[in-house]
Amino acid sequence: MVELFFGTVTIAAAIRLAVPLVLSSVGGCFGDRAGIFNIALESFMLCAAFFATLGTYCTANPYFGIICGILAGLTCALLFGIFVFHFGSSGMVVSIAMNLGMDAFTSFLLLTIFGKRGSFMDERLVSIPDINIPIISELPYIGEVLNGQNIMVYLTIVLAVAAWLLMYKMPFGLRVRSVGMNEKAAQTAGINILKYKWYSVLLTGLFCGLAGAILPLGGTSIFTENMTAGRGFLAVAAIMIAGGNPIKAAIVGFMFAYAEVIAASMQNFGIPSQIVLSFPYFITIFVLLISAVCTKIRKKVVKI
Amino acid sequence: MSKMKKIINSYKVYSLAKYIFSLVAVALIGSFLIMFQGESPKEALTYLIDGAFGSIRCIGNTLRWITPCIFTGMAASVAFKSGVMNLGIEGQIYFGAYAAALVGFYVTFPRFLHIPICIIIAGFAGMAFALIPALLKLYFNINEMIVTLMLNYIAVLLTEYFTYIVMGISAAGDSLALATPPISDTAKLKILVPKTNASTGFIIAVALVFVVWFIYRNTKVGYELKQVGANRRFAKIGGVNVTKTFLSIFLISGFIAGVCGSVEVQGTYGKFTAGFSNNLGWDGIMIAMIANNNPFSVLLVAFIWGILKAGALHMERMCDVNRLTVLLIQALFVLFVTVDYKKLLEIFRKKGGKV
Repeated sequence: MVELFFGTVTIAAAIRLAVPLVLSSVGGCFGDRAGIFNIALESFMLCAAFFATLGTYCTANPYFGIICGILAGLTCALLFGIFVFHFGSSGMVVSIAMNLGMDAFTSFLLLTIFGKRGSFMDERLVSIPDINIPIISELPYIGEVLNGQNIMVYLTIVLAVAAWLLMYKMPFGLRVRSVGMNEKAAQTAGINILKYKWYSVLLTGLFCGLAGAILPLGGTSIFTENMTAGRGFLAVAAIMIAGGNPIKAAIVGFMFAYAEVIAASMQNFGIPSQIVLSFPYFITIFVLLISAVCTKIRKKVVKI
Repeated sequence: MSKMKKIINSYKVYSLAKYIFSLVAVALIGSFLIMFQGESPKEALTYLIDGAFGSIRCIGNTLRWITPCIFTGMAASVAFKSGVMNLGIEGQIYFGAYAAALVGFYVTFPRFLHIPICIIIAGFAGMAFALIPALLKLYFNINEMIVTLMLNYIAVLLTEYFTYIVMGISAAGDSLALATPPISDTAKLKILVPKTNASTGFIIAVALVFVVWFIYRNTKVGYELKQVGANRRFAKIGGVNVTKTFLSIFLISGFIAGVCGSVEVQGTYGKFTAGFSNNLGWDGIMIAMIANNNPFSVLLVAFIWGILKAGALHMERMCDVNRLTVLLIQALFVLFVTVDYKKLLEIFRKKGGKV
């Protein structure tokens, strides 16, 4: 049982699986903190996943694919920003239209460019290679967990910490937070609201682009239709639970991935696959409930 | 008074212009996409319309697709009108459909009883599934959007699992052809157009639109419901029980979605197939957004949606343009229609002034 929950295989798998979730949750924190309602993370990631596939296919170089993915994520964020900030659409409507539209758009491109429906596999579609770090590999437990992962795992950890620093230790983060907290007060203090909202959305797009690019390039080397499968929504939930704190969001994102791995290994004990697959969604609702109960109790204590 | 009329008129002109502009923009993008696939847009459109109206069977098929669109569109617009963000229509459809399939298969009643019982139980199943996010929102203030989104995924998987249980197979096979046993004939809705799936469900759907319109226009409850959506604080001060209204709206929306599921099962498929819905719930949400939550506009947009759905299949068969083009165009239309063009014009004017 200990082996199942804390074994190196489980943790290593959870870390690998957590990368896209953690990245998108961390990026989404900026949008959330700037007071932008955005549940289109799903579409940002999906678009990035497709263009990462395309870029890798064209050059057989996964790093070029990642750049393509990031650019795709930024383009999606640009589209979102134009409609929400300048065209006066509501964030929810744009999000829903983008989620549905991107699902159709990526499948459409998959069919017109590659002539495939469902999924796409090719020998030119190469994943990012795993790397060995000599110093880490000698450590007893951590070595087995952290060593031999691909470079994105390490980059994710660095980015999560960097995002936290940016949010809480730098003027930029202070301004973003103030825009989200009280727009008028922020404006009075001389902050260009629109500028900071744009920065936040583009940051979200950047992170989601990176997250989406990992999906096909993080070891599976395959692109499937609608391959995000609700990860964007899970990320939104993680952001809500974390209250927009990047480090907390990263931890919650990791917990979701961990739950997924545990559930997957439960399948060996005869638990039906449908229950296993729905596990992350159940966990999300459960965690939302727990955090809501906690806030309720905290508020009551303050009142007394 | 005349000033009032002027404002209303200008509003009407504005929204009409908005729809026409969006339509033109979407048509341009659509033709580009079709040309991208190496087909002529005119030809593709001809096939699409031919597929929707070409013969009596085609018309029947179009009616079959209009029916769920009306139901889901109403489910979404009833919720959105009162400010309830029910994005879980998809999941509620699944539970409604599953309940209808079970009642249709296991229970035997005379025909005139069996159909309504199936529909009502399906409605309650959808309602029960809508109760979860509603309660979480009311008692713990958890954003209902996230919960309903999660519940959509759960509903698809859980109904699939329940179907396994009913079928008595261990959970190991493939899920492609997974379905409950067919419902008995007494539970099946009457077919309107022979040899097609257009059922009396269509009449129920249209009746529903009229009922909702009547309630909003002529009753106190309807006024309260609208008021809660328009201005919650005003409604509260005016003596509306906002909590109760919120809960009932969520449940009504879930009920309509459940009924949609039952009509799909009783009118078209005759059984519950795992994963059958294919984004019907999301179609409804898009329809409600385009129609601006007005019952008759929902009816109109649902007609267009049904025509597109039925025609797209034919179009895909006849030429190289694939169905996804239509889906993409639908999403783009939502994006364009909900743009605030007045604000946009103002920005342009300001910029012109500066230069």
